[in-house]
Amino acid sequence: MKLLIYEDGKFDNFYPLTYLRASWELRCGAFSLRQRIEQLFPGVQVGLWARDLLVPVLRRRYPDRPVNDLDALKGDDVLLVNGRALLTGPVDVRDIGAVKSGEELVYALLPKEKAAECSGLEDLLALAESLPSEQKDVRVVQYLWDLVSENPNFIERDFDRFGPKVLGKLHPTAVVYGPEDRVYIGEGAEVHPYVVLDTRGGPVIVDRGVEVHPFTRIEGPSYIGPDCILLGAKIREGCSFGPVCRIGGEVEESIVQGYSNKYHDGFLGHAYVGEWVNLGALTTNSDLKNDYSTVQVYLKGQWVDTGELKVGAFIGDHTKTSIGTLLNTGTIIGIMCNIVGAGALPPKYVPPFSLFVNGKIMKGFGLKYLLEIARTAMGRRKMELSPEEEALLKAIYDATKGERAEAVKKFR
Amino acid sequence: MSQSVAERVKKVVARQLRVPIERVTEEARFVEDLGAESIQSLELVMAFEEEFDIEMDEEEALQVKTVGGAIEYISRLLENK
Repeated sequence: MKLLIYEDGKFDNFYPLTYLRASWELRCGAFSLRQRIEQLFPGVQVGLWARDLLVPVLRRRYPDRPVNDLDALKGDDVLLVNGRALLTGPVDVRDIGAVKSGEELVYALLPKEKAAECSGLEDLLALAESLPSEQKDVRVVQYLWDLVSENPNFIERDFDRFGPKVLGKLHPTAVVYGPEDRVYIGEGAEVHPYVVLDTRGGPVIVDRGVEVHPFTRIEGPSYIGPDCILLGAKIREGCSFGPVCRIGGEVEESIVQGYSNKYHDGFLGHAYVGEWVNLGALTTNSDLKNDYSTVQVYLKGQWVDTGELKVGAFIGDHTKTSIGTLLNTGTIIGIMCNIVGAGALPPKYVPPFSLFVNGKIMKGFGLKYLLEIARTAMGRRKMELSPEEEALLKAIYDATKGERAEAVKKFR
Repeated sequence: MSQSVAERVKKVVARQLRVPIERVTEEARFVEDLGAESIQSLELVMAFEEEFDIEMDEEEALQVKTVGGAIEYISRLLENK
C-alpha cells in the first residue's frame, strides 16, 4: 500500500494561511496535518497532492516525496487520505473501500489496477466515491478556527509521542506547577530561572533548542516548537508555535506556523499566524465581542458566521504590523501586508499585499519592494526565498490585484 | 477654460504635501524639496488617481521623483486612456 495525502478544493477556506502552503501543511497540536497522517502509517511510501499553483514550491519543500505524481504510486493499492482529516490512530485499513465522516471523504483504499488508470485527483476521488463506504466519526476541518479550537486536544494527544522527559536544561528555580510527569524538555532546550510550567490543565512540550527566558509562564496544554525563544511571555493554554518563533507578551489558544516574531507585549488570542510575520510591540487582537455574540469573518468575498464566541485574527505570511496595532475580533489579514495600525482599527478583511496606514488601505510600494523585505527577513534566519516561492508570490500578487484595487477605492 | 494637466498636478501636490503652490515648480523634487515622506508619496499617488481617474502602477509611480516627472507620467497615462 502507498499513501496519498491530498488537498481538495476547500483550500481557500483556509485563506490567508493557504496562499503559500497546502492545507495539509497547517498545524494542529504539535504537528502539521500531513505529519499527523504520516505518523499513522510508518514505513509506507507517501505521495502528496495539492493545487497546481503550489506544485513547484512543494516539490522543492518535499524533495523525498512525489508531489502530484501518480506514476510514483503505481504498482500498489493507494490509500487516499483527505489532508483536512484529523485522524487519530491506530487506523486499521485492510479492505478496499472508503471511510466517510458525513459527506466528507476521510480516506479510501483504492485498488491498484483502478488507481493506475487515474490521471489526477478528480479521477481518484471519483474512484473513491464508487467504492463501498462506511461512516466514522472523524473531524474533517473546514476552517482555520476549527484548527484553533482542536489544538488543545491534539497537544494532549501528542504528548504521548514526546513523553515525560527532560533532555535539555531545566533551571532549579524554574517551577513545574502541577504534575511533573506532564513536561517534555527537548534536547538543547533551556528553561531559565523563574519560569513557571503550569501542567495543571495539560502537558507542556518544549521542543529541542528552545530557550525559555525568565518570568515566562507556560500553561498546558501547549507546544513550543524547535528553536523558539520565549521572552518573559505569558503563554496561556492551547498554544502551538512552529519552529524558530520569538514570542513575548500574552498568547492564548493560538497557532503560529513558524519563523514569526511577536517579541513584545500585546495579546494574541484564538489566532492563527503564518510564517515570517512580525507583530510590532503592543499589537493586540480581540477574540471576544462585547455583546458575546458569535464572531463573523469576511472570507472569499462574503461574511461567514464562525459559530464560535472566541475567534482572533488570521494573519498571512510575511505580514508586518506596526507598534500599537489593534485588530478587531475575527480579522483576516492577507499575506505580505503592512499594517500601520496605530490610531485606527484596520478593516476586518485586508487583501493580500495591502498597505494599511492613516486609517485607509492604500496602494503599497509594489511587489519588488515586498520581495526585498521578505529576502531580508528570511536572511536573518539564514533562509532564502526560493525562485519557486517568488514565482508563487508573483502569481498571487497578480491574481489579487482586483480585490486590492476595490479595497483602495473603498477608502478613498 | 479647463485647467491644464500641469496645473492640476501642482494643485494636488500643494494640497497633499501642504506646501505653498509657488514652491511646486516642475523642477521640485518630492522628497528633497517638498519634504514628502514615504507614506505621503503613496497618498500622492492615490490623490493623482482620484483627480485624473487613472490607475497608476505603484512601482512605476514611485520611480517619479519630480513634479515635472509626474506631469509627464500622468499626461502619458491620460493619452493612453
